[in-house]
Amino acid sequence: MEFNENQTQPATIAAQPEPATTPELINGSHAVIQSLIAEGVTTIFGYPGGAIMPVYDAIYDYQDQVNHILVRHEQGAAHAAEGYARITGDVGVCLVTSGPGATNLVTGIADAIIDSTPMVCIIGQVASHLLGTDAFQETDVMGVTIPITKWNYQITRADEIPEIIAKAFYIAKSGRPGPVLIDITKDAQQKLMTKPFSHKKCEKLISYHPRLSPKEEQVAAAAKLINEAKKPFLFFGHGVQIAGAEQELLKLIEKTDIPAASTLLGLSSVSVDHPNYVGWLGMHGNYGTNVLTNQCDLIIAVGMRFDDRVTGDLSRYAKQAKVVHIEIDPAEIDKIVKADAPVVGDAKKVLELLIPLVKENKHEAWRAEFAKYNAIEDAKITQPELAPTTEKLKMAEVIRSLSDKTKGEAVVVADVGQHQMMTARYYQFKKPNSFITSGGLGTMGFALPAAFGAKVGAPDREVVTFIGDGCFQMTIQELGTIAQSGLPVKIIILNNNFLGMVRQWQQLFHQKRYSFVELQNPDFITIGKGFGIDGHTCAAREDLNASLDKMLASDKPYLLEVIVEKEENVFPMVPTGACVADIRLE
Amino acid sequence: MTAYTICVFTENTIGILNKITTIFTRRRINIESLTVSETERKGISRFTIVIHHESREAVEKLVRQIRKVIEVLAVFGYLNDDIAYNEIAMFKISTPIGAKPLDIETINKVHKAWVVYWHLTYVIIQKTGTEQEIFDFFDYIKPHGILEFVRSGRVAVSKSPQTLVDYLPEAEWEYYQ
Repeated sequence: MEFNENQTQPATIAAQPEPATTPELINGSHAVIQSLIAEGVTTIFGYPGGAIMPVYDAIYDYQDQVNHILVRHEQGAAHAAEGYARITGDVGVCLVTSGPGATNLVTGIADAIIDSTPMVCIIGQVASHLLGTDAFQETDVMGVTIPITKWNYQITRADEIPEIIAKAFYIAKSGRPGPVLIDITKDAQQKLMTKPFSHKKCEKLISYHPRLSPKEEQVAAAAKLINEAKKPFLFFGHGVQIAGAEQELLKLIEKTDIPAASTLLGLSSVSVDHPNYVGWLGMHGNYGTNVLTNQCDLIIAVGMRFDDRVTGDLSRYAKQAKVVHIEIDPAEIDKIVKADAPVVGDAKKVLELLIPLVKENKHEAWRAEFAKYNAIEDAKITQPELAPTTEKLKMAEVIRSLSDKTKGEAVVVADVGQHQMMTARYYQFKKPNSFITSGGLGTMGFALPAAFGAKVGAPDREVVTFIGDGCFQMTIQELGTIAQSGLPVKIIILNNNFLGMVRQWQQLFHQKRYSFVELQNPDFITIGKGFGIDGHTCAAREDLNASLDKMLASDKPYLLEVIVEKEENVFPMVPTGACVADIRLE
Repeated sequence: MTAYTICVFTENTIGILNKITTIFTRRRINIESLTVSETERKGISRFTIVIHHESREAVEKLVRQIRKVIEVLAVFGYLNDDIAYNEIAMFKISTPIGAKPLDIETINKVHKAWVVYWHLTYVIIQKTGTEQEIFDFFDYIKPHGILEFVRSGRVAVSKSPQTLVDYLPEAEWEYYQ
């Protein structure tokens, strides 16, 4: 080794002062739980198994401080943690074992990263001397989760635990939130720390500096464009809710009188009653919002990322408009739509600085354009959907009926597919932070566990979930988790015996070749009862009112199955590859 | 296709190579060459990655995605004109008894290459230079019989007067001035 003699520094070990008294040393597992408690964690969604058993042994001693909820499948833990995180704004925590425990989390982690949901997943791993040997229940979880985590780290020494957990929470929560995975080898859980436990919250990292406060010149440039615009149009996304910027957003749109539209995950940040609220954007969004995207002269995008379900064909998307893009993640700037005035920063901080710089304005004529299109949509789609003449119920009337009964103030969790789009269209959100759905990943099976997680996080709010019959069977086992908790989650299955959205596409784009979309379903109510959850089926329009009342009146979890029209389609629709202005009403 | 050199400064941790390269994989960008080693700052690694791409915009997006990796301190994308760069190559050349002798003077003075190891039947020559210079030398030496040839990835230093310390480690993420 002579060739690198000159480059190697002699190792110097600083003399450690001897502690005056010998403090009690704890093992890695206790360090995990104590660190979680120090981070303010009160709820853990988890499932035990071989490689995480030491932590489960430790958690037994902390049941008065931490509410561990035993799910029925690790995917349920991930989605429940997401629901919890989305409603509370805190970090959702999952605790699972190695191998299959970890891989079962993967869908939930992928869901969390694309929907910017803060989550810390603590995973057991085989003992460090077995790493890489194909040991029992060993999976290279680090390798598997690199592309779907904001950060991941493998702990092999008990001493690392407090610092890494502190770092995990800081990374998960700060900037653009996301999931963090900590893989802890079994020996690191078992061994005693070599130094007294101490947990210090992480506030800063050498390499990671999320920009919260925007640059003044960027805000000024955005204000200039806003003040010059004749037909400005504001889009708000999930970032508004994450930043808690709802009040600032209202101030901005009220001062400038700019019409505002939501993305799917932005829904509920502005009340549907607000005069400046003009609807939502994208594939199944409103008529006017899509058409007028291609007529406005300025887009002000706040905390959104121009998903392809929002933009349709990019080459014909808002080419006439300038773009102000307010976004915390610099990698989103210019990623899809080129920004004339990018503002990198936290939505709340940016809007606070922007409001004093924008001029009071009136855009009555411009806003009236939206009203014009909304009237067309109302006559052509909304009214017929809400007052149908079909024999069977339609999804829209069920959703609107629940919306009326809950005064638009429930926490609504939608699964993925037609019923999700219908929920977004027909629930009249009047209270911020009320809509939870899998937006980016479109994870079927998300809603049941996510609704449960949301109820855990917001026990005082009414939590209702709309689930399709296909989605329901993907995570149906979480009925067991809900039953065991006793929390009154209200579950509505909109049952059309079809994978409805795929069927709709097959009808519209594949000449009605209904390829593997029809389901022979079980008796959901009997299944619910088997889990100990009461419920009933509503199959007739005249029973709907009483059915919803009965469900809402229950102080226990309740399962309401509503038999809906077998073949209904969600409209308006911007077909894939079409331009937003070519949105179809039929 | 234009060559881009991407310099990434990261914490020197297990798995960081995987975290960086997966971003290229996801965007279907092939890595032409890759060099990684620790910098003069302990615990900080420097990646020099060469790619070919027709779209500067796509490379800018790639750079911003790389910057999102938590362990990454800074990322710079360069065109060839922005950097001084070199590679190192080694040639094992057959020198059996009776073969045409090597013209060491030409090898040294014209090609700036050096014999770094002698054996009875072969020598190892080390050549530093650009890809072009290395292949020019390759063509020159080929008639002697190349037993083995290896070329490193690129190392590159920007021509900007700023030093690494100007950027690291507290430098903010400055993409939009």
